[in-house]
Amino acid sequence: MSAHPEKFKLSEWIFTTDHKRIGIMYLIGSIAAFCVAGLMAILIRIEQSSLGPTLASDAITAGDQYNQWLYFHGAAMILGFLIPGLTGFAANYFLPLMIGARDVAFPRINALSVWLFLSGIFVALLGFVIPDAPDIMWTGYPPYSLLTGGNTAFYVFTVHLLGFASILGAVNFLVTVIYMRAPGMGWNQLSMFVWSTVTAFVIQLVFVPVLAAAVTMLLFDKYLGTHFFDPSAGGDVLLYQNLFWFYSHPAVYVILLPALGILYEIVATFSKNPIFNYKAAVYGGMWGVVLISGEVWVHHLYVSGMPNWIRIGQMISTLLISLPVGLLAVSLFGTLYRGAITFELPMKYAISCLFLFLVGGLTGIPLALTALTLHLSETSFVHAHFHYIMGIFAAFSVFAGVYYWFPKMTGKMYDEKLGTIGFWLNFIGVNLTFIPLFKIGVEGMPRRYWNYEMFPQFEIWHMVALFGALFILSGMSLTIFNWVYSAWKGEISIDNPWRSKSLEWTHTVNPPGPGNFLKDVEVSSDWTPYDYGK
Amino acid sequence: MSDSSTTEHAHHWEVSWAPMVVTIGILFLLPFTFSAHFVYDDPLLTTIFAGIGTPLTLAGIAKWVDEGITQKPLLEGVSPSGLPYFIISEVFIFLGFFVTYWTMRLSAGDAWPPEGTPALNLLLPVVMTVILVSSSWTYHIAEEKYEKGDLSEFRKWLMITIGLGTLFLGCTFYEYNHLMHLGFVPSSNAFSTIFYTITGFHASHVIIGLGVFIAILIPAFRGKTNKYLVFCGGVYWHFVDVIWFFVASQVYYW
Repeated sequence: MSAHPEKFKLSEWIFTTDHKRIGIMYLIGSIAAFCVAGLMAILIRIEQSSLGPTLASDAITAGDQYNQWLYFHGAAMILGFLIPGLTGFAANYFLPLMIGARDVAFPRINALSVWLFLSGIFVALLGFVIPDAPDIMWTGYPPYSLLTGGNTAFYVFTVHLLGFASILGAVNFLVTVIYMRAPGMGWNQLSMFVWSTVTAFVIQLVFVPVLAAAVTMLLFDKYLGTHFFDPSAGGDVLLYQNLFWFYSHPAVYVILLPALGILYEIVATFSKNPIFNYKAAVYGGMWGVVLISGEVWVHHLYVSGMPNWIRIGQMISTLLISLPVGLLAVSLFGTLYRGAITFELPMKYAISCLFLFLVGGLTGIPLALTALTLHLSETSFVHAHFHYIMGIFAAFSVFAGVYYWFPKMTGKMYDEKLGTIGFWLNFIGVNLTFIPLFKIGVEGMPRRYWNYEMFPQFEIWHMVALFGALFILSGMSLTIFNWVYSAWKGEISIDNPWRSKSLEWTHTVNPPGPGNFLKDVEVSSDWTPYDYGK
Repeated sequence: MSDSSTTEHAHHWEVSWAPMVVTIGILFLLPFTFSAHFVYDDPLLTTIFAGIGTPLTLAGIAKWVDEGITQKPLLEGVSPSGLPYFIISEVFIFLGFFVTYWTMRLSAGDAWPPEGTPALNLLLPVVMTVILVSSSWTYHIAEEKYEKGDLSEFRKWLMITIGLGTLFLGCTFYEYNHLMHLGFVPSSNAFSTIFYTITGFHASHVIIGLGVFIAILIPAFRGKTNKYLVFCGGVYWHFVDVIWFFVASQVYYW
C-alpha cells in the first residue's frame, strides 16, 4: 500500500462531499482564521506593551482599533479556529476512519456544514473591509453592543452561520457513530477520540441553538427596535449574559473534550499502552462533563449581581466539574505509566499539553471560589487562566493532531527538525506571555484595557508578554511553513510510522482514497484500537 | 448495525454542487440582504443581494432534492433517525425564546400586557389551531395514500395540506396587518417584542415546512418520490404543529 499520486481537480475539491476533503477544507479555513486572529493578538500585545497609545496617534483611534482587534481575536479564535478545528477538521477526517465507515451518514449535509463554516469566516473577515467593524468582543454584551456604531449584525450572522454548521455537524456525526460503525464494533471498543467527539457534539446540539436565539434577539434589538435587553421597556439586560453563557460555557467543553480525545490517541500510540481506566474516563469523565456542563454558566456572572445562594450553588457545581475532569486527567496520565514512550513531535506537543492542562485547570479553582473571584474577576488572571486551558491547551492539541495525522493526510512526512524548533519557540512563547499575566492579574491589572496609565508598574510585564508573543509568532510561522512545505515536497512517509493499532492507520492507505477502505472493515469482539499486547 | 456493505470499492470522488450553491444563496439572501437593508439602508444593494440569493438558493435546493430522490445513498433510510436530533436542536432554540418570554412576563407581574397593547383577537388562534391540526391530519391521509401506492391521491391530499398551511400563514398575515394598523409594531413595548418574535419564528418554520412539501410535490408530479423524505416532511410538520400549541397557549392566553 502506498500513496497513489492523483491529478488535482479543483471541481473535485470545491464540490466534494467526501468527509476527508471536507476535513481538509475545515483545516484550511480554521488555520486561516487562526492566522488572522493571531496577528490581532500580536497587535493587542504591541498596543499594551507601553502605557498610552502605542500604535495609534491618539487615544480615540487607539481605543477603537483595539476594540476591533479584541473582537476579531476572540470571535475568530473560538468560533473560527478552536471549535471548527476540533469538531470540524479532526472529527470529519478521522472519525469515519476510526469507526470503519466509508463516509458520514449525510455527505451532502456535511458539505453544507463546511460551506456554512467558510461563509461564517468570510462574514467575520468582511469586518476588515467595512467602515464600521464590530467592536464588541466575542461576547457581544448589551447595552454596548446595541449602542455602538460598529456593525453588530455581522457578529450575529457569523454566529448564525457557524452555529448552523455546528448543529448540522452534530446531527450528522451522532447518526454516523450510532449507525455506521464497522460490524462487530461495540461501544466499549470505540477510540477515545470518537467518544470525545460524540460528547462534544451532544453539547453542541443542545446548547448552540440557545446562543443562536440570544444573538437573534440582539439583532432585533439593535436593528428592529425591539426591547429584549432594554430594562426601561420591560426587558432584562442580564438575560443576554445568561443565555450567552448557557451556550458559551459548555462551548469550553466542546473544545476541551475533542482536544483531550486527540491527546488520548497520541499518548496511547507513543506509550504503546492501552487507555488507563477506559470506562471510567468515557462514562464518568466525558459523559460526566456533558452532564454538569449545563449547570455552571452562572459563574461567568459572579460580579454581575445575583443573590448569594445562587452564587454559592454555582460555586459548588463549578467545583464539581473537577470530578469528571479529574477522572480524565488520571486516565490520561495513567496511560503513560510504564509505557514504552518515544518523544516524536506529536508526543512533544501532547506532553506539553498535559502541563498546560494542569496550569489552566488548577488556576480555574480559585476563580470558582466566590470569595477569591471578587478579587480576581475581570483581571488578567482570568485572561491568563482561560488562555491556558482553552486557548493554548486546545490549540496545541490541534497542532499535535495535525503532526500526528500528517502522514495519513498527505502521505508525506513533516520535517522533524523544523517542527521541533517551532515547538520549543511556541512552548516557551506561551509561557513567557501568560505567566506574567497571572502575576499582574493577582496584583490588580484589569483585563481588556488598552491603556493602564494608573498602573505604570505593570508596563514591564506587558513588555515581557510581547516578547513571548513574538516567540509564538516565529514558532507558528515555522510550524505552518513546515506543514505547507512538507505536504508539497516532504519525504514520502511509510504506511504506519507510529505503529498505531487504530483503524485509520491499520486499514487505509496514506492518504485514503474515495471510499476509504479497500474492502469493508469488520472487527472481532476482542479488537480494540489500543491493542499493544498488555 | 451497519448495512453499508457496498462490496465494490469506490473509484471516484463523490461530488455535488448543491450544498455550495445553497450556502452562497443563503449568504446573500439572509446576512447580506438584511445588512444592506437594516444596517446600511441601501435599497439598490438590498435588491441586488436578494436577486442573487433567491435563484441560487432555489437552484441549489432543487438540485439537492433531485439528487436525494434519484441517487442511492451510502446508508439508506437513516434520515428518519437523524431528524429527531435536529428537532432536539429546534426545541432548544424555541426554549431560548420562551425562557426570554417567561422572564419578561414574570418580572412584569400584574403590569402585563404593558400599556399600549391593543386587545388581541382571541378567536383567531383557535381558528389557526384548527387549521394547523387539520393540516397534520390531511398529511397523515396523504401518507396513507402514499403507502398504498396511490400517487394521484397522495398529490391531492398533499396539496390540501399545503393549502391549509398557506391559510394558516394568511391568518398570521391578517393579524400582523391588523395590529400594525393599530400602531402595534415590534418596537412598541415588551409584549410586542416577544409577540412578533415568537409568532414570527414559528411562522418561519411553517414556511420551511411548506417548502419541504413543495419539494416533495413537484417531483411527485413526475412520479418521483422518496419515502424517507415523505416521512421526514410529515414528522417536521407535526413538530411545527406541536410547537404551535405552546405558542398559542403561552403568548395569547397567558
